[in-house]
Amino acid sequence: MRAPAAFRVAILRSLKLPSEAVILLRSKFAALLLCMLAGSAAWYVRADEKPVRVAVLENSPPMSYRAANGELTGFSVAIIRALCEEMKANCQYSVSTLDRVVDEVAAGDIDIAAVSLLDTPERRAKVLFAKPYFRSISLWFAKPDIKPGQPGIRVAVVHSSAQERFARAKGWETVTVRTNGELAEPLSAGIAQAAIIPMSTGLGLMKRPEFQRLELVSTVMNEPELGGDASFGISKRRPDLKEQLDAALDRIKRNGVYDRINSQFLPFRIN
Amino acid sequence: MNAFGHLRGLRAGRIFLWLAVVFVLCFGLMVALVVIDQQRVVEASSRLQDQTVPEIIRYQRLARNLEQLRQEGERVFAASTPQARQQAMFVVTLVASHPSVLEHREAAEAARQTERFLADVIRRSLNDERVFVASFEEWQRLSARLGILVDDVSIQGINLASKDLGDVSATMKLARIKLIAALFVVGVFLIIFMVLLRAHLIHPLQRIDRALSGLSVEQPPPAFEPSSMVEIQAVEEAIGELHASLVQNEEARLALESLANKDGLTGLMNRRHFMLTADAELQRAQRYRRPVTVGMADLDHFKNLNDTYGHAAGDTVLRAFAALMQETMRQSDLVCRYGGEEFAFVFPESGLEEATRLAERFRATCADHDIRLPDGRMVRVTLSIGLADASACALEVALKHADEALYDAKRQGRNRVVTAGELRAETGR
Repeated sequence: MRAPAAFRVAILRSLKLPSEAVILLRSKFAALLLCMLAGSAAWYVRADEKPVRVAVLENSPPMSYRAANGELTGFSVAIIRALCEEMKANCQYSVSTLDRVVDEVAAGDIDIAAVSLLDTPERRAKVLFAKPYFRSISLWFAKPDIKPGQPGIRVAVVHSSAQERFARAKGWETVTVRTNGELAEPLSAGIAQAAIIPMSTGLGLMKRPEFQRLELVSTVMNEPELGGDASFGISKRRPDLKEQLDAALDRIKRNGVYDRINSQFLPFRIN
Repeated sequence: MNAFGHLRGLRAGRIFLWLAVVFVLCFGLMVALVVIDQQRVVEASSRLQDQTVPEIIRYQRLARNLEQLRQEGERVFAASTPQARQQAMFVVTLVASHPSVLEHREAAEAARQTERFLADVIRRSLNDERVFVASFEEWQRLSARLGILVDDVSIQGINLASKDLGDVSATMKLARIKLIAALFVVGVFLIIFMVLLRAHLIHPLQRIDRALSGLSVEQPPPAFEPSSMVEIQAVEEAIGELHASLVQNEEARLALESLANKDGLTGLMNRRHFMLTADAELQRAQRYRRPVTVGMADLDHFKNLNDTYGHAAGDTVLRAFAALMQETMRQSDLVCRYGGEEFAFVFPESGLEEATRLAERFRATCADHDIRLPDGRMVRVTLSIGLADASACALEVALKHADEALYDAKRQGRNRVVTAGELRAETGR
């Protein structure tokens, strides 16, 4: 009994085909319209809808670190949070390291690397640089009698940093660590006799008693590739984000948010 | 008016068009200038917002760093441990080497001097702690200089804004002057428009209005001063033509009227017109209780004359008779050809006696008058006249009385004047 009934339905369907085809066509057209509408709507609400994936470092005090309660904080973290708020963007934060973060952004896994990046040709080839959010300098930390370029010494640098690039280019022997927070370790252990350290990291290290006990002397390195503008990196697939981020940075520099964050994490104005 | 003499003969529309074009150009230019100024203000404001304010903030940050430098210097002197001193010195080094300080020449120099001084003090203190006390006075001088520099840098930053604001306010002042000038131009053009309108349109129109309301055949054609506008000139010429055609019309009307009122053969009043005029004369006389007399006259044996000499001769006689009658009668007397060879009169201001005398005089004149016929022969005609008083009765009644008197005159032998009173008296007798 059931088979003939199904058969009948099939016949009815085949009879109805022309009108259904018309409906199908119409619905396709409607769908197209809907898509266009949705597309234009998305263009307006994208900032709210689509999350912005932000990578931060977690062991680079005082720029980016975990507070005693485990929460991510620091100058760079506070700045990117303020920028996200200013852009009204839905930012999703994840943790990365300096040697990975640029490639992650280049691969499109991350939209913004909220990491202070000095300008190098390799980085420029992979990511867009936002407007600089502060200006940095690098310091030579060593015993008073050890000078930069001195043969037979090893220099501690963070892996994939501008400082590492500089030391390699000079042909110096290096010891790399993965995070800024670990820069003191090769010095304490005697594996390295000197370190090239960004000023912010230096400020953090100088407060630590075990670092003070090493009785190192700091010298400012005047080479241009070791200082100057530091910026966030942005995915090349999101040039719109750069515009938004730059405008937001201009605004928080004007409205005082930036200076409050500066005072919170650093002893002087670093912009 | 003389100032616009050269405009004479131009079309008013074209003049106003030119004025409007010049006005629009002038005003447009003014507006464009004001718009440019406004644009300049907008640009200055956005420059203030986008460039100057960040620059001011940059100066404030530099001032803040110099102050920090001074404080860290104080800390170097006040530090209780070498570590704290080293830490303070480290910040001094960073600040003195930071690009934000290096990019300002005075600040960079002061910072470098401070750093060098403090580093020197610390180096010497390794041998002798008393160095701090000895060099504190010099530090205070340095610190004071830094303090002054902090103020200077702050003020330098603020001054950046005053330049922009000065630009803005100067531009605004200029814009206001231009705006006033634009309003002045509008005012001047309005006045010119009004003067021209008054002189070239309103005044001529008023003149035309006066001329039109005073336009009549009794008055001479209105004379206009030559107008500067072709349109007005055209209207004025049209008024002249209108006046001329009014005069023509009046002449035609008068001609038609006389045609309607006169007897074609004799040129005397016709009967219809006589009845109207005489009736009016009677009413006037009766209203003012003045004497008035009517009369009827008939040529004697006119039928015989017609039969003997022909109708052309009859007409000639009638015309000659009518001419004689007009000659002899007073100006105010009304005379008409009543029909055929019959004539009617009204003697205003005349009683029966005077009228009789006048009628008698005319009868006598007529009886002595030779009439030359077209063929050269001379004839004399006589006439019989009947008079009646009309000061107390209607025209028709009075004429009937006069007609009866005329009939009586015929009956009595023709060539005589008979009054209705006599008739009645005779009848009464």
